[in-house]
Amino acid sequence: MSLRFLDLARPSRQHWLGYLLLLPAVALVALIIVYPLFVSLDLSFQKIGMATLNAPRRPFTLENYGKLFTSPDFWNACWVTIKLVVVVSAACFAVGLGTALLVNNRFKGRTLARLFVALPWAVPEVIAVVIFAWIFDSSFGLMNWLFIKVGITSQMINWFSEPTAAFWVVAITMIWKGYPFVSIMTLAGLQSIPEDFYNAAKVDGASALQRFRYITIPVLMPVLGVTLVLVILWVFRDFSIIKVLTDGGPLKATQTLSIMTYDQAFGFFNMGYASAIGIVTLVLCVVASLLMLGRKSQAMY
Amino acid sequence: MERTGSQSFALYVGLAVVCGILLFPIYWLFVTALSTLAEIRQLPPSFWPAEPQWSTFTKVASERPILLWLWNSTLAAIGSVGLSMIVSVFAGYSLSRFSLRGGRSLGLFILTAKMLPATLLVIPLFGIFRSIGLIGSLWSLVLAHATLIIPFTTWMLKGYFDTIPRELEQAAMVDGCSPLGAMFRVVLPVATPGLAATALYAFVLSWADYAYARTFLTNAQGSWTANLGITTMKGEYVTDWNEISAAAVFIALPILVIYLFLERYLVGGLTAGAEK
Repeated sequence: MSLRFLDLARPSRQHWLGYLLLLPAVALVALIIVYPLFVSLDLSFQKIGMATLNAPRRPFTLENYGKLFTSPDFWNACWVTIKLVVVVSAACFAVGLGTALLVNNRFKGRTLARLFVALPWAVPEVIAVVIFAWIFDSSFGLMNWLFIKVGITSQMINWFSEPTAAFWVVAITMIWKGYPFVSIMTLAGLQSIPEDFYNAAKVDGASALQRFRYITIPVLMPVLGVTLVLVILWVFRDFSIIKVLTDGGPLKATQTLSIMTYDQAFGFFNMGYASAIGIVTLVLCVVASLLMLGRKSQAMY
Repeated sequence: MERTGSQSFALYVGLAVVCGILLFPIYWLFVTALSTLAEIRQLPPSFWPAEPQWSTFTKVASERPILLWLWNSTLAAIGSVGLSMIVSVFAGYSLSRFSLRGGRSLGLFILTAKMLPATLLVIPLFGIFRSIGLIGSLWSLVLAHATLIIPFTTWMLKGYFDTIPRELEQAAMVDGCSPLGAMFRVVLPVATPGLAATALYAFVLSWADYAYARTFLTNAQGSWTANLGITTMKGEYVTDWNEISAAAVFIALPILVIYLFLERYLVGGLTAGAEK
């Protein structure tokens, strides 16, 4: 009896065991992800208010999607989402890359610095909202005091009733919560670069800038690509930060597609319409990540 | 790289400034929790409480069901992490060791599930849970959090199993172990650090949820989780920021502590796969 006989990867041998081990996960995923997805797809083609399983099926209709694409609210939500995605991911990358490169230097206390530079990652989103809601509080918030002190404004700004101001409060909260992820991923990427690369380049007379341009950047690129997609998806789908901070207001200035989906479902009880918005959001997420990663999408896994 | 004295001085100064700005919100949360109401309402603000008000913490803990909320969050996390880990350990092992037809596409599907917006999935789940009477019960969160956790844990565990050489099981089987016996007695013990890291990361995912708790539990105060509970304090007592901050410290502290002491395990989960 050879060892090969016992190789579990050998086809035809013990396949049943492999499938058996997969079964619980497949069954659970089918029950709590796949089946609900079909339910929501089905709902999106019905004019339905409150969704229950035993409710009689409504006739098939494309009304929800028709209503969606002609609704100014939907296009507003798309615009808000895109603005937020661009602002937040750009800033997360600027801060995240900057901090990662800073603590990637060799110095005493580097381990501790790495830990602290990404600390906001460990603050739950709802708690981040509590902190920033207080900092931007209109009566006793720190930001108003700072703005007046520095002379940017002469009177208190009511951050949450001013559309532009509210958008920036949301953006700043998300940037603060999101940049550590970029730092952590970048540091992991930087660590995978062998010191030899740099030494060899130095021997060849490459300047620090050249070493950065021709070694650091190319090696980091695949990691950064995946990170960018994950950050964008996070902003795209985020619910808790916006919901608790501004509830999508004022005047829908912070109403993203996620918030609109939720409000239609559980604020106005238009579950059919809400499902249609959710399905469109999902399609946008999938298409966007496929476009950005292309063939590299395998690398994400 | 060699650095001159002035260069490393500049580095430390830069680091101090950057950390000072980025971590100020966390500092401010603690300062606010320890300040008196008068102090947080004064201008210019005081950046250090004259006398730290530790009593705010006991006051909040006794006047608000904070401990109940934390307990509920813990129960939901234990339930969903437990459920997800059980199915993911088997699935991850299978994906790592067997080259099954359809196994790869199943793996890819599980990963695509990471892209699902919770705001979409929450609608059908609400309908389903309403029909089977789970609304208002923590069991709804156990199942809903599993939808967030399983896609992560399955793939993380597959990654950990991939790093364990197959020869281990083969040797065990030569010695008369059954394939399942080899998995339980040989592979899982070796994979314990990986299992712990995965479970830890899953715990953080569950602890952070707000969308599902808000949707399924709003009308069941006894089942409120920490994140849901604290949002009900916001707006109700608009001006008592010290009490809300103290409550926030209670909720943030477990994750901050986990992060500070077990960071490398968490980061392992965060970056799993992305570097390949």
